[in-house]
Amino acid sequence: MIYLDYAATTPIDEAVFEAMLPYLKPDGLHGNPASTHGPGFKARAAVETARQQVAALIGAEASEIIWTSGATESNNLAIKGALEFRGFPKNGKPVHIVTSKTEHKCVLDTCRQLETLGARVSYLKPDGQGRVTAEAVLAAITPDTVLVSLMWVNNEIGTVNDIEQLAPRLRERGVMLHVDAAQAAGKLAIDLKTVAVDLLSVSAHKLYGPKGVGALYVRRKPRARLSPQMHGGGHEQGMRSGTLATHQVVGMGAACALAAARFDADVAHWRGLRDALWARLQTIPGVLRNGPTDGDRAAPHLLNLSFPGVEGESLRASLGGIAVSSGSACSSATAEPSYVLRALGRDDETANASLRFSFGRRTTAAEIEQVADTVIAQVAWLRELSPLPRNG
Amino acid sequence: MTETDDGNAFGYAPEIWRLFRNAPNAGAFPDGTPGVVSAEAGTPAARSVLRLALRFDGARVIDGRFQAYGCPASIAVGAWIAGWASGRHVDELRLLKAAHLREALEIPEDRAHCALLGEDALRAVLSRHQEQRA
Repeated sequence: MIYLDYAATTPIDEAVFEAMLPYLKPDGLHGNPASTHGPGFKARAAVETARQQVAALIGAEASEIIWTSGATESNNLAIKGALEFRGFPKNGKPVHIVTSKTEHKCVLDTCRQLETLGARVSYLKPDGQGRVTAEAVLAAITPDTVLVSLMWVNNEIGTVNDIEQLAPRLRERGVMLHVDAAQAAGKLAIDLKTVAVDLLSVSAHKLYGPKGVGALYVRRKPRARLSPQMHGGGHEQGMRSGTLATHQVVGMGAACALAAARFDADVAHWRGLRDALWARLQTIPGVLRNGPTDGDRAAPHLLNLSFPGVEGESLRASLGGIAVSSGSACSSATAEPSYVLRALGRDDETANASLRFSFGRRTTAAEIEQVADTVIAQVAWLRELSPLPRNG
Repeated sequence: MTETDDGNAFGYAPEIWRLFRNAPNAGAFPDGTPGVVSAEAGTPAARSVLRLALRFDGARVIDGRFQAYGCPASIAVGAWIAGWASGRHVDELRLLKAAHLREALEIPEDRAHCALLGEDALRAVLSRHQEQRA
Protein backbone atom coordinates (compact mmCIF):
# COMPACT_ATOMS: atom_id res chain seq x y z
CA MET A 1 0.00 0.00 0.00
CA ILE A 2 1.31 3.42 -0.95
CA TYR A 3 -0.06 6.09 1.36
CA LEU A 4 -0.63 9.44 -0.32
CA ASP A 5 -3.25 10.86 2.01
CA TYR A 6 -1.11 12.89 4.38
CA ALA A 7 -3.51 15.82 4.13
CA ALA A 8 -6.11 13.62 5.81
CA THR A 9 -3.74 12.63 8.57
CA THR A 10 -0.09 11.85 9.17
CA PRO A 11 1.47 9.10 11.24
CA ILE A 12 3.07 10.16 14.51
CA ASP A 13 6.73 10.92 13.99
CA GLU A 14 9.05 8.61 15.89
CA ALA A 15 10.53 11.55 17.83
CA VAL A 16 7.03 12.73 18.76
CA PHE A 17 6.14 9.25 19.95
CA GLU A 18 9.25 9.14 22.13
CA ALA A 19 8.45 12.55 23.59
CA MET A 20 4.94 11.41 24.52
CA LEU A 21 5.90 8.09 26.09
CA PRO A 22 7.01 9.31 29.54
CA TYR A 23 3.53 10.78 30.04
CA LEU A 24 1.75 7.55 29.09
CA LYS A 25 3.65 4.92 31.06
CA PRO A 26 2.08 3.61 34.27
CA ASP A 27 5.11 4.75 36.24
CA GLY A 28 5.44 7.89 34.19
CA LEU A 29 4.75 11.56 34.64
CA HIS A 30 1.06 11.31 35.39
CA GLY A 31 0.45 14.51 37.34
CA ASN A 32 -2.44 16.80 36.57
CA PRO A 33 -0.97 19.99 35.09
CA ALA A 34 -3.41 21.99 37.24
CA SER A 35 -2.24 20.41 40.51
CA THR A 36 -0.04 22.32 42.92
CA HIS A 37 2.50 19.69 43.90
CA GLY A 38 5.60 18.09 42.43
CA PRO A 39 4.02 15.78 39.80
CA GLY A 40 1.60 18.56 38.85
CA PHE A 41 4.42 21.08 38.44
CA LYS A 42 6.32 18.64 36.21
CA ALA A 43 3.29 18.11 34.00
CA ARG A 44 2.65 21.85 33.95
CA ALA A 45 6.22 22.50 32.84
CA ALA A 46 5.84 20.02 29.98
CA VAL A 47 2.57 21.65 28.90
CA GLU A 48 4.16 25.10 28.93
CA THR A 49 7.16 23.92 26.91
CA ALA A 50 4.74 22.48 24.35
CA ARG A 51 2.81 25.74 24.33
CA GLN A 52 6.00 27.59 23.45
CA GLN A 53 6.77 25.08 20.70
CA VAL A 54 3.35 25.55 19.08
CA ALA A 55 3.62 29.32 19.43
CA ALA A 56 7.07 29.34 17.83
CA LEU A 57 5.81 27.57 14.71
CA ILE A 58 3.30 30.34 13.99
CA GLY A 59 5.11 33.38 15.35
CA ALA A 60 2.91 33.76 18.42
CA GLU A 61 3.43 34.19 22.17
CA ALA A 62 2.94 31.10 24.32
CA SER A 63 0.19 32.87 26.24
CA GLU A 64 -1.78 33.14 23.01
CA ILE A 65 -2.13 29.35 22.63
CA ILE A 66 -5.24 27.59 23.95
CA TRP A 67 -5.28 23.78 23.89
CA THR A 68 -8.26 22.07 22.32
CA SER A 69 -9.15 18.59 21.06
CA GLY A 70 -8.35 19.49 17.45
CA ALA A 71 -9.10 21.93 14.66
CA THR A 72 -12.82 21.18 14.69
CA GLU A 73 -13.09 22.28 18.29
CA SER A 74 -10.78 25.23 17.67
CA ASN A 75 -13.00 26.41 14.82
CA ASN A 76 -16.14 25.97 16.89
CA LEU A 77 -14.63 27.82 19.84
CA ALA A 78 -13.36 30.66 17.66
CA ILE A 79 -16.56 31.30 15.75
CA LYS A 80 -19.19 30.60 18.40
CA GLY A 81 -17.06 32.06 21.16
CA ALA A 82 -16.43 35.33 19.31
CA LEU A 83 -20.12 35.88 18.64
CA GLU A 84 -21.23 34.88 22.09
CA PHE A 85 -18.74 37.22 23.72
CA ARG A 86 -20.45 40.04 21.81
CA GLY A 87 -23.77 39.11 23.32
CA PHE A 88 -25.13 37.00 20.49
CA PRO A 89 -27.85 35.82 20.43
CA LYS A 90 -29.15 37.18 23.76
CA ASN A 91 -28.80 40.89 23.03
CA GLY A 92 -30.83 40.60 19.83
CA LYS A 93 -28.42 42.70 17.80
CA PRO A 94 -27.94 41.75 14.14
CA VAL A 95 -24.75 39.79 13.56
CA HIS A 96 -23.06 39.00 10.25
CA ILE A 97 -20.26 36.55 9.45
CA VAL A 98 -18.33 36.32 6.19
CA THR A 99 -16.87 32.97 5.19
CA SER A 100 -16.51 30.94 1.99
CA LYS A 101 -18.27 28.01 0.37
CA THR A 102 -15.03 26.02 0.37
CA GLU A 103 -14.31 26.07 4.09
CA HIS A 104 -14.01 22.81 6.00
CA LYS A 105 -17.34 21.34 7.06
CA CYS A 106 -16.66 22.19 10.69
CA VAL A 107 -16.65 25.90 9.82
CA LEU A 108 -19.64 25.65 7.49
CA ASP A 109 -21.70 23.62 9.94
CA THR A 110 -20.81 25.96 12.80
CA CYS A 111 -21.97 28.90 10.69
CA ARG A 112 -25.18 27.09 9.78
CA GLN A 113 -25.83 26.41 13.45
CA LEU A 114 -25.39 30.13 14.18
CA GLU A 115 -27.80 30.93 11.36
CA THR A 116 -30.46 28.93 13.17
CA LEU A 117 -29.93 31.27 16.12
CA GLY A 118 -30.37 34.36 13.96
CA ALA A 119 -26.90 35.17 12.62
CA ARG A 120 -26.57 36.18 8.99
CA VAL A 121 -23.77 34.46 7.09
CA SER A 122 -22.31 35.24 3.66
CA TYR A 123 -20.74 32.21 2.00
CA LEU A 124 -18.43 33.61 -0.67
CA LYS A 125 -17.88 31.76 -3.90
CA PRO A 126 -14.19 31.29 -4.70
CA ASP A 127 -12.65 32.06 -8.06
CA GLY A 128 -11.81 29.32 -10.56
CA GLN A 129 -8.70 28.36 -8.60
CA GLY A 130 -10.49 28.17 -5.28
CA ARG A 131 -9.22 31.52 -4.02
CA VAL A 132 -11.26 34.00 -2.02
CA THR A 133 -9.69 37.38 -2.61
CA ALA A 134 -9.37 40.17 -0.04
CA GLU A 135 -11.48 42.34 -2.32
CA ALA A 136 -14.30 39.79 -2.34
CA VAL A 137 -14.23 39.60 1.45
CA LEU A 138 -14.18 43.37 1.88
CA ALA A 139 -17.05 43.77 -0.57
CA ALA A 140 -19.15 41.46 1.59
CA ILE A 141 -18.53 43.40 4.82
CA THR A 142 -21.55 45.20 6.26
CA PRO A 143 -21.89 47.38 9.38
CA ASP A 144 -23.07 44.24 11.21
CA THR A 145 -20.08 42.08 10.24
CA VAL A 146 -18.26 40.96 13.37
CA LEU A 147 -16.19 38.07 12.06
CA VAL A 148 -14.54 36.77 8.92
CA SER A 149 -13.60 33.09 8.93
CA LEU A 150 -11.37 32.01 6.08
CA MET A 151 -9.03 29.06 5.69
CA TRP A 152 -5.39 29.73 4.89
CA VAL A 153 -4.96 26.58 2.77
CA ASN A 154 -7.85 24.67 1.29
CA ASN A 155 -7.74 21.05 2.43
CA GLU A 156 -8.95 19.56 -0.84
CA ILE A 157 -7.21 21.57 -3.53
CA GLY A 158 -4.38 23.37 -1.75
CA THR A 159 -5.34 26.90 -2.70
CA VAL A 160 -3.56 29.45 -0.51
CA ASN A 161 -5.69 32.45 0.42
CA ASP A 162 -3.92 35.78 0.73
CA ILE A 163 -4.40 36.18 4.47
CA GLU A 164 -1.45 38.58 4.71
CA GLN A 165 -3.24 41.06 2.47
CA LEU A 166 -6.68 40.58 4.00
CA ALA A 167 -5.75 40.77 7.70
CA PRO A 168 -4.71 44.44 8.00
CA ARG A 169 -7.69 45.61 6.00
CA LEU A 170 -10.07 43.84 8.37
CA ARG A 171 -8.20 45.27 11.33
CA GLU A 172 -8.77 48.78 9.92
CA ARG A 173 -12.48 48.04 9.81
CA GLY A 174 -12.65 46.53 13.28
CA VAL A 175 -13.71 43.11 12.01
CA MET A 176 -12.21 40.03 13.67
CA LEU A 177 -10.40 37.52 11.48
CA HIS A 178 -10.40 33.81 12.23
CA VAL A 179 -8.20 31.57 10.10
CA ASP A 180 -8.42 27.80 9.87
CA ALA A 181 -4.77 26.88 9.44
CA ALA A 182 -5.07 23.10 9.83
CA GLN A 183 -3.51 22.58 6.39
CA ALA A 184 -1.21 25.60 6.59
CA ALA A 185 0.78 25.06 9.77
CA GLY A 186 4.11 23.49 8.90
CA LYS A 187 3.38 23.95 5.17
CA LEU A 188 3.52 27.75 4.90
CA ALA A 189 5.69 30.22 6.78
CA ILE A 190 3.31 31.77 9.32
CA ASP A 191 4.32 34.76 11.44
CA LEU A 192 1.43 36.12 13.44
CA LYS A 193 3.64 38.91 14.76
CA THR A 194 3.38 40.49 11.34
CA VAL A 195 -0.02 39.24 10.16
CA ALA A 196 -3.04 40.67 11.98
CA VAL A 197 -4.99 37.45 12.44
CA ASP A 198 -7.07 37.43 15.63
CA LEU A 199 -7.86 33.73 15.92
CA LEU A 200 -6.15 30.77 14.24
CA SER A 201 -6.87 27.04 14.44
CA VAL A 202 -4.28 24.30 14.18
CA SER A 203 -4.33 20.54 14.54
CA ALA A 204 -1.57 18.15 15.64
CA HIS A 205 -2.37 15.14 13.48
CA LYS A 206 -1.86 17.01 10.22
CA LEU A 207 1.80 17.55 11.10
CA TYR A 208 3.02 14.26 12.56
CA GLY A 209 1.50 14.77 15.99
CA PRO A 210 -1.18 12.71 17.70
CA LYS A 211 -4.88 12.78 16.87
CA GLY A 212 -7.18 14.35 19.43
CA VAL A 213 -5.27 17.53 20.19
CA GLY A 214 -5.16 20.94 18.60
CA ALA A 215 -4.83 24.55 19.50
CA LEU A 216 -6.50 27.88 19.02
CA TYR A 217 -4.36 30.98 18.78
CA VAL A 218 -6.09 33.88 20.51
CA ARG A 219 -4.37 37.23 19.97
CA ARG A 220 -3.52 39.23 23.10
CA LYS A 221 -2.68 42.60 21.53
CA PRO A 222 -5.24 43.74 20.63
CA ARG A 223 -7.05 41.25 22.77
CA ALA A 224 -9.35 38.84 20.91
CA ARG A 225 -12.10 37.90 23.33
CA LEU A 226 -14.10 34.70 23.37
CA SER A 227 -16.79 33.13 25.48
CA PRO A 228 -15.92 29.56 26.44
CA GLN A 229 -17.86 26.73 24.85
CA MET A 230 -16.64 24.16 27.37
CA HIS A 231 -17.35 25.09 30.97
CA GLY A 232 -15.67 23.68 34.03
CA GLY A 233 -12.57 24.49 35.98
CA GLY A 234 -11.62 27.63 34.12
CA HIS A 235 -8.58 26.08 32.49
CA GLU A 236 -6.81 27.74 29.57
CA GLN A 237 -7.44 31.29 30.77
CA GLY A 238 -11.10 30.45 31.21
CA MET A 239 -11.55 29.80 27.51
CA ARG A 240 -11.50 26.00 27.49
CA SER A 241 -12.07 23.99 30.62
CA GLY A 242 -11.01 20.39 31.05
CA THR A 243 -7.96 18.62 32.42
CA LEU A 244 -5.22 18.82 29.84
CA ALA A 245 -4.13 15.59 28.15
CA THR A 246 -0.47 16.08 28.93
CA HIS A 247 0.79 13.35 26.58
CA GLN A 248 -1.23 14.75 23.67
CA VAL A 249 -0.15 18.30 24.37
CA VAL A 250 3.50 17.24 24.62
CA GLY A 251 3.10 15.37 21.33
CA MET A 252 1.71 18.42 19.60
CA GLY A 253 4.53 20.56 20.95
CA ALA A 254 7.16 18.08 19.76
CA ALA A 255 5.47 17.84 16.35
CA CYS A 256 5.46 21.62 15.96
CA ALA A 257 9.10 21.89 17.02
CA LEU A 258 9.98 19.25 14.46
CA ALA A 259 7.92 20.97 11.77
CA ALA A 260 9.72 24.24 12.47
CA ALA A 261 13.16 22.60 12.38
CA ARG A 262 12.44 20.69 9.18
CA PHE A 263 10.37 23.37 7.48
CA ASP A 264 12.58 24.18 4.49
CA ALA A 265 13.47 20.54 3.82
CA ASP A 266 9.87 19.39 4.18
CA VAL A 267 8.47 22.02 1.84
CA ALA A 268 11.14 21.37 -0.77
CA HIS A 269 10.52 17.61 -0.54
CA TRP A 270 6.73 17.89 -0.90
CA ARG A 271 6.95 20.42 -3.71
CA GLY A 272 9.35 18.18 -5.60
CA LEU A 273 7.04 15.18 -5.25
CA ARG A 274 3.97 17.20 -6.21
CA ASP A 275 5.62 18.61 -9.30
CA ALA A 276 7.03 15.21 -10.30
CA LEU A 277 3.61 13.57 -10.04
CA TRP A 278 1.95 16.38 -11.96
CA ALA A 279 4.62 16.19 -14.68
CA ARG A 280 3.74 12.55 -15.19
CA LEU A 281 -0.03 12.76 -14.85
CA GLN A 282 -0.50 15.80 -17.04
CA THR A 283 0.32 13.52 -19.97
CA ILE A 284 -3.13 11.95 -19.49
CA PRO A 285 -5.41 13.44 -22.16
CA GLY A 286 -8.03 15.77 -20.71
CA VAL A 287 -6.73 15.68 -17.11
CA LEU A 288 -7.69 18.77 -15.10
CA ARG A 289 -5.76 20.24 -12.20
CA ASN A 290 -8.00 21.58 -9.46
CA GLY A 291 -6.59 24.61 -7.71
CA PRO A 292 -3.72 26.91 -8.51
CA THR A 293 -0.57 25.89 -10.29
CA ASP A 294 1.61 28.91 -9.56
CA GLY A 295 4.23 28.25 -6.91
CA ASP A 296 3.53 30.27 -3.81
CA ARG A 297 -0.24 30.31 -4.12
CA ALA A 298 -0.43 26.52 -4.13
CA ALA A 299 0.24 24.50 -1.00
CA PRO A 300 3.32 22.33 -1.45
CA HIS A 301 1.93 19.09 -0.09
CA LEU A 302 -1.06 18.22 -2.24
CA LEU A 303 -2.27 17.82 -5.80
CA ASN A 304 -5.92 17.49 -6.83
CA LEU A 305 -6.79 16.21 -10.29
CA SER A 306 -9.93 15.33 -12.22
CA PHE A 307 -10.01 12.59 -14.84
CA PRO A 308 -12.98 13.21 -17.15
CA GLY A 309 -14.30 10.17 -18.93
CA VAL A 310 -13.83 7.73 -16.09
CA GLU A 311 -16.35 6.93 -13.41
CA GLY A 312 -15.19 7.91 -9.93
CA GLU A 313 -15.94 4.74 -8.01
CA SER A 314 -14.27 2.50 -10.56
CA LEU A 315 -11.28 4.82 -10.61
CA ARG A 316 -10.91 4.55 -6.84
CA ALA A 317 -11.45 0.78 -6.89
CA SER A 318 -8.83 0.31 -9.59
CA LEU A 319 -6.28 2.11 -7.41
CA GLY A 320 -6.82 -0.22 -4.46
CA GLY A 321 -3.12 -0.33 -3.60
CA ILE A 322 -2.89 3.44 -3.27
CA ALA A 323 -4.45 5.37 -0.38
CA VAL A 324 -5.67 8.70 -1.72
CA SER A 325 -8.72 10.85 -1.08
CA SER A 326 -11.43 10.85 -3.68
CA GLY A 327 -13.60 13.58 -5.12
CA SER A 328 -15.74 13.26 -2.09
CA ALA A 329 -12.73 13.85 0.19
CA CYS A 330 -13.79 14.61 3.74
CA SER A 331 -17.41 13.91 2.91
CA SER A 332 -16.83 10.42 1.57
CA ALA A 333 -19.37 9.01 4.02
CA THR A 334 -22.10 10.86 2.16
CA ALA A 335 -21.01 9.63 -1.31
CA GLU A 336 -21.75 13.10 -2.64
CA PRO A 337 -19.40 14.86 -4.99
CA SER A 338 -17.00 17.25 -3.32
CA TYR A 339 -18.68 20.59 -2.57
CA VAL A 340 -15.30 22.25 -2.97
CA LEU A 341 -14.88 21.00 -6.54
CA ARG A 342 -18.48 21.88 -7.29
CA ALA A 343 -17.88 25.41 -6.00
CA LEU A 344 -15.03 25.58 -8.49
CA GLY A 345 -17.50 24.85 -11.27
CA ARG A 346 -16.77 21.17 -11.79
CA ASP A 347 -19.88 19.14 -12.62
CA ASP A 348 -20.86 16.16 -10.44
CA GLU A 349 -19.38 13.65 -12.86
CA THR A 350 -16.00 15.35 -13.01
CA ALA A 351 -15.93 16.01 -9.28
CA ASN A 352 -16.55 12.32 -8.67
CA ALA A 353 -13.67 11.37 -10.93
CA SER A 354 -11.18 13.38 -8.91
CA LEU A 355 -8.33 12.38 -6.66
CA ARG A 356 -6.37 14.25 -4.03
CA PHE A 357 -2.78 13.08 -3.72
CA SER A 358 -0.97 14.42 -0.66
CA PHE A 359 2.62 13.85 0.26
CA GLY A 360 4.56 13.16 3.42
CA ARG A 361 8.08 13.06 4.73
CA ARG A 362 8.43 9.37 3.94
CA THR A 363 7.03 9.56 0.42
CA THR A 364 9.70 8.60 -2.07
CA ALA A 365 10.30 9.48 -5.71
CA ALA A 366 9.98 5.77 -6.54
CA GLU A 367 6.50 5.69 -4.99
CA ILE A 368 5.50 8.70 -7.07
CA GLU A 369 6.68 6.90 -10.22
CA GLN A 370 4.75 3.78 -9.26
CA VAL A 371 1.59 5.78 -8.52
CA ALA A 372 1.93 7.67 -11.81
CA ASP A 373 2.32 4.41 -13.75
CA THR A 374 -0.74 2.93 -12.05
CA VAL A 375 -2.98 5.98 -12.47
CA ILE A 376 -2.02 6.42 -16.13
CA ALA A 377 -2.71 2.74 -16.85
CA GLN A 378 -5.99 2.57 -14.94
CA VAL A 379 -7.42 5.77 -16.44
CA ALA A 380 -6.54 4.48 -19.90
CA TRP A 381 -8.11 1.09 -19.13
CA LEU A 382 -11.35 2.58 -17.81
CA ARG A 383 -11.62 4.91 -20.79
CA GLU A 384 -11.00 2.00 -23.13
CA LEU A 385 -13.78 0.11 -21.41
CA SER A 386 -16.23 3.00 -21.70
CA PRO A 387 -18.81 3.25 -24.49
CA LEU A 388 -18.99 7.01 -24.01
CA PRO A 389 -17.35 9.40 -26.46
CA ARG A 390 -13.70 9.95 -25.60
CA ASN A 391 -12.63 12.94 -23.53
CA GLY A 392 -9.44 14.78 -24.24
CA MET B 1 -14.35 -4.42 5.14
CA THR B 2 -10.78 -5.57 5.08
CA GLU B 3 -8.22 -5.04 2.43
CA THR B 4 -7.21 -8.13 0.50
CA ASP B 5 -3.97 -8.97 -1.30
CA ASP B 6 -5.63 -8.57 -4.67
CA GLY B 7 -6.14 -4.86 -4.13
CA ASN B 8 -9.85 -5.16 -3.32
CA ALA B 9 -9.54 -2.37 -0.76
CA PHE B 10 -13.23 -1.54 -0.82
CA GLY B 11 -14.42 -5.09 -0.17
CA TYR B 12 -16.40 -5.84 -3.33
CA ALA B 13 -17.94 -9.32 -3.61
CA PRO B 14 -15.33 -11.73 -5.05
CA GLU B 15 -17.12 -12.28 -8.37
CA ILE B 16 -17.69 -8.57 -8.92
CA TRP B 17 -14.06 -7.93 -8.13
CA ARG B 18 -12.79 -10.71 -10.45
CA LEU B 19 -14.89 -9.56 -13.37
CA PHE B 20 -14.10 -5.88 -12.77
CA ARG B 21 -10.38 -6.50 -12.64
CA ASN B 22 -10.16 -8.93 -15.54
CA ALA B 23 -13.07 -7.61 -17.60
CA PRO B 24 -13.33 -10.70 -19.82
CA ASN B 25 -15.10 -10.05 -23.13
CA ALA B 26 -14.47 -6.29 -22.91
CA GLY B 27 -14.50 -4.35 -26.14
CA ALA B 28 -16.45 -4.35 -29.37
CA PHE B 29 -16.56 -6.56 -32.45
CA PRO B 30 -14.77 -5.17 -35.49
CA ASP B 31 -17.03 -3.10 -37.72
CA GLY B 32 -18.83 -5.24 -40.25
CA THR B 33 -18.66 -8.46 -38.25
CA PRO B 34 -21.64 -10.48 -39.46
CA GLY B 35 -24.41 -11.41 -37.02
CA VAL B 36 -23.60 -8.76 -34.43
CA VAL B 37 -26.48 -7.09 -32.62
CA SER B 38 -25.68 -4.40 -30.09
CA ALA B 39 -27.67 -2.13 -27.82
CA GLU B 40 -27.15 0.19 -24.89
CA ALA B 41 -28.85 0.68 -21.56
CA GLY B 42 -28.24 3.43 -19.10
CA THR B 43 -29.22 4.62 -15.68
CA PRO B 44 -28.76 8.38 -15.74
CA ALA B 45 -29.30 8.75 -12.00
CA ALA B 46 -26.57 6.27 -11.23
CA ARG B 47 -24.42 7.49 -14.11
CA SER B 48 -23.93 4.11 -15.73
CA VAL B 49 -24.00 3.06 -19.38
CA LEU B 50 -23.69 -0.53 -20.61
CA ARG B 51 -23.28 -1.42 -24.26
CA LEU B 52 -23.78 -5.08 -25.00
CA ALA B 53 -22.92 -6.68 -28.35
CA LEU B 54 -23.83 -10.30 -29.11
CA ARG B 55 -22.81 -12.18 -32.25
CA PHE B 56 -25.61 -14.47 -33.39
CA ASP B 57 -25.78 -17.50 -35.60
CA GLY B 58 -29.51 -17.66 -36.17
CA ALA B 59 -31.15 -17.86 -32.75
CA ARG B 60 -27.99 -18.82 -30.91
CA VAL B 61 -25.25 -16.54 -29.58
CA ILE B 62 -21.71 -17.34 -30.67
CA ASP B 63 -19.96 -14.87 -28.41
CA GLY B 64 -20.39 -11.51 -26.72
CA ARG B 65 -18.62 -8.24 -25.98
CA PHE B 66 -19.39 -5.37 -23.65
CA GLN B 67 -18.36 -1.81 -22.90
CA ALA B 68 -19.32 -0.07 -19.68
CA TYR B 69 -19.06 3.25 -17.94
CA GLY B 70 -20.01 2.93 -14.31
CA CYS B 71 -19.13 1.44 -10.96
CA PRO B 72 -17.31 -1.91 -10.63
CA ALA B 73 -20.63 -3.76 -10.24
CA SER B 74 -21.97 -2.44 -13.54
CA ILE B 75 -18.73 -3.36 -15.31
CA ALA B 76 -18.89 -6.83 -13.78
CA VAL B 77 -22.50 -7.22 -14.95
CA GLY B 78 -21.46 -6.44 -18.53
CA ALA B 79 -18.59 -8.90 -18.39
CA TRP B 80 -20.78 -11.62 -16.89
CA ILE B 81 -23.61 -11.33 -19.41
CA ALA B 82 -21.23 -11.20 -22.37
CA GLY B 83 -19.66 -14.46 -21.20
CA TRP B 84 -22.82 -16.20 -20.04
CA ALA B 85 -24.71 -15.51 -23.28
CA SER B 86 -22.13 -17.28 -25.44
CA GLY B 87 -23.54 -20.54 -26.80
CA ARG B 88 -27.06 -19.89 -25.52
CA HIS B 89 -30.31 -19.77 -27.42
CA VAL B 90 -32.43 -16.60 -27.39
CA ASP B 91 -35.16 -18.46 -25.48
CA GLU B 92 -32.70 -18.98 -22.63
CA LEU B 93 -31.47 -15.40 -22.78
CA ARG B 94 -35.02 -14.12 -22.38
CA LEU B 95 -35.25 -15.82 -19.01
CA LEU B 96 -32.39 -13.87 -17.47
CA LYS B 97 -33.64 -11.41 -14.87
CA ALA B 98 -31.95 -8.88 -12.66
CA ALA B 99 -32.51 -11.19 -9.69
CA HIS B 100 -30.32 -13.85 -11.33
CA LEU B 101 -27.57 -11.32 -11.87
CA ARG B 102 -27.78 -10.16 -8.28
CA GLU B 103 -27.46 -13.72 -7.06
CA ALA B 104 -24.65 -14.72 -9.41
CA LEU B 105 -22.56 -11.65 -8.63
CA GLU B 106 -23.65 -11.04 -5.04
CA ILE B 107 -24.81 -7.58 -5.95
CA PRO B 108 -26.00 -5.78 -2.81
CA GLU B 109 -29.35 -4.05 -2.46
CA ASP B 110 -27.92 -0.57 -2.92
CA ARG B 111 -26.48 -1.65 -6.28
CA ALA B 112 -29.63 -3.36 -7.55
CA HIS B 113 -29.70 -0.81 -10.40
CA CYS B 114 -26.53 -2.40 -11.83
CA ALA B 115 -28.35 -5.71 -12.25
CA LEU B 116 -31.29 -3.91 -13.87
CA LEU B 117 -28.84 -2.25 -16.21
CA GLY B 118 -27.71 -5.69 -17.36
CA GLU B 119 -31.25 -6.96 -17.81
CA ASP B 120 -32.19 -3.83 -19.77
CA ALA B 121 -29.17 -4.10 -22.07
CA LEU B 122 -29.84 -7.78 -22.80
CA ARG B 123 -33.52 -7.12 -23.49
CA ALA B 124 -32.61 -4.31 -25.84
CA VAL B 125 -30.27 -6.61 -27.76
CA LEU B 126 -32.88 -9.35 -27.95
CA SER B 127 -35.55 -6.94 -29.08
CA ARG B 128 -33.29 -5.65 -31.83
CA HIS B 129 -32.35 -9.18 -32.79
CA GLN B 130 -36.01 -10.12 -33.10
CA GLU B 131 -36.71 -7.04 -35.26
CA GLN B 132 -33.87 -7.98 -37.57
CA ARG B 133 -35.10 -11.54 -37.96
CA ALA B 134 -38.69 -10.46 -38.59
